[in-house]
Amino acid sequence: MQVYLPIAEMSVDALLLLGIGFGVGWLSGLFGVGGGFLMTPLLILTGIPSPIAVASGACQTLGASVSGLMSHWRRGNVDARMGLTLLAGGFIGSALGVQLFALLRRLGQVDLAVAFFYIVVLGSVGALMVRESLGAILNRKRDGQVRLHEHFWMHGLPLKVRYRKSRLYISIIPPMLVGFGIGILSAVMGVGGGFMLVPAMIYLLGMPTAVVIGTSLFQVVFVSANVTLLQSIQTGSVDVVLVVLLLAGGVSGAQFGAAMGAKLRGEETRFLLGLLVLAVAGLLLWGLVQTPSQPFVTEPAP
Amino acid sequence: MRRAILLALLLSAPLPALTKLALAQPALVAELAETTVEITTGFTGASILVFGTTARPISATPATAPGDEILIVATGPVQPMVVRRKIRVLGFWLNGPSATFPNVPGYYAIVGTRAPWEMLAEPDRLERRLGLDTLPLRARGGQASPAFRAALLDLKQQEGLWAEQVAPVAVSGGQLFNARLPLPATVATGEYAVQVLLVRQSRVVARQELIFNVQRVGTAASINALARQQPALYGLLCIAIAAFAGWLGSVVFRRG
Repeated sequence: MQVYLPIAEMSVDALLLLGIGFGVGWLSGLFGVGGGFLMTPLLILTGIPSPIAVASGACQTLGASVSGLMSHWRRGNVDARMGLTLLAGGFIGSALGVQLFALLRRLGQVDLAVAFFYIVVLGSVGALMVRESLGAILNRKRDGQVRLHEHFWMHGLPLKVRYRKSRLYISIIPPMLVGFGIGILSAVMGVGGGFMLVPAMIYLLGMPTAVVIGTSLFQVVFVSANVTLLQSIQTGSVDVVLVVLLLAGGVSGAQFGAAMGAKLRGEETRFLLGLLVLAVAGLLLWGLVQTPSQPFVTEPAP
Repeated sequence: MRRAILLALLLSAPLPALTKLALAQPALVAELAETTVEITTGFTGASILVFGTTARPISATPATAPGDEILIVATGPVQPMVVRRKIRVLGFWLNGPSATFPNVPGYYAIVGTRAPWEMLAEPDRLERRLGLDTLPLRARGGQASPAFRAALLDLKQQEGLWAEQVAPVAVSGGQLFNARLPLPATVATGEYAVQVLLVRQSRVVARQELIFNVQRVGTAASINALARQQPALYGLLCIAIAAFAGWLGSVVFRRG
């Protein structure tokens, strides 16, 4: 069944989009991530132009994360003060990121930049995850020493604030920088950034795991909303029909994935997710290295 | 008084024009089956039917069987296009030098009872711009290599937006002709001009110009218009719709 995307100005198979939505939703439910990092590259692979894929991917991430945020909020797993600090950085980062994206579009380098960001970010995150989870699986028998909250240079920074839910008394600078970085990635890659935010919150900020997911969802929802708004104003490339189709498949897939994910062990889940992330990075790298079938590309002049 | 003016007007009407209208059958009459192509949410491309009749018999092989020939050209709205060449840097393929073509017809299709270069003398064909090779594609600045122009021609044809003699004009009963011009799903909106030419002994003897419109209708049209005219409102609506869809999905599927 073909459907015409009014912003992309092309017609695509609706069932294919529902299928992609379902598959990514299933994986995101399984691994507890937003899935934007899979969605955007898959859309590009199906022939959706990169600007549309990135901008609509951000909007889709928002929809996919809303219900998660609501349930975590109800259970009190959101550190709102920490979330707002991250968000302050996130808003600045995403605003700059959208400007960067518009600039890249004028230069004709969106495809390259998106692929490059994906390869670097997914490659490093995937490698770290695989290494860490392999270590955890191998050390399972040994009595794993729980790493305590250590103090280093970061804790000497000014502007300290007490984050009660996170049981932290730290400067607002590191969370704002983390939020800023994720904001840029969110705008350029069309992802929520949960897969980077969660490790950053645990290892960098030292937040307790219980509030990490809820707080990261808080940041993801609001930053992707900001990206959606800015992208539609700046580049006009958010396709609402595409978003709705992806979400329709995604929300159903996520429920199945979540049910299955409950049966897997943490380290194994992280190991599989790491492999998946590496595979996506590898695929995109191949796309850049491989000799193109067409030596020329055309697009409407801006 | 009024009557006198009316009479004077009638008498002053050019007599030859009146007699021509009454007596001579026009050499060519052409029409379009539809004058609007609507892009709906289910749009997957369309085709436009051009049909008509001639006073004298049509022949696809005037060399053996004498007769008139038909040539149909359709052009879409002009838009500027950028062509980029992919270059290899450190093993990676990226977009390298580019050329901007300010006047590129978004759509161009030409069909005839024979190929246009067989029908008309070369200078005439070039002047009337009949054939993809005659399109006035000049890059801005004029420095670009001819490879960019060739690439543009190539890619537009692959997209199905430019077509040359895809299927010859069909003739039935010697004087009735029709042709279908394919419009792919990626056609731009706007006004399209269709020119029907009657060729006799390598000369254009009659010509008729027809117009059709490609326009978005229904949901697709309102979404596109809103996104262009009120981008901030559209962005907010996208946020609301995505959030609502996410929430609704979790409610529906939690029970299931």
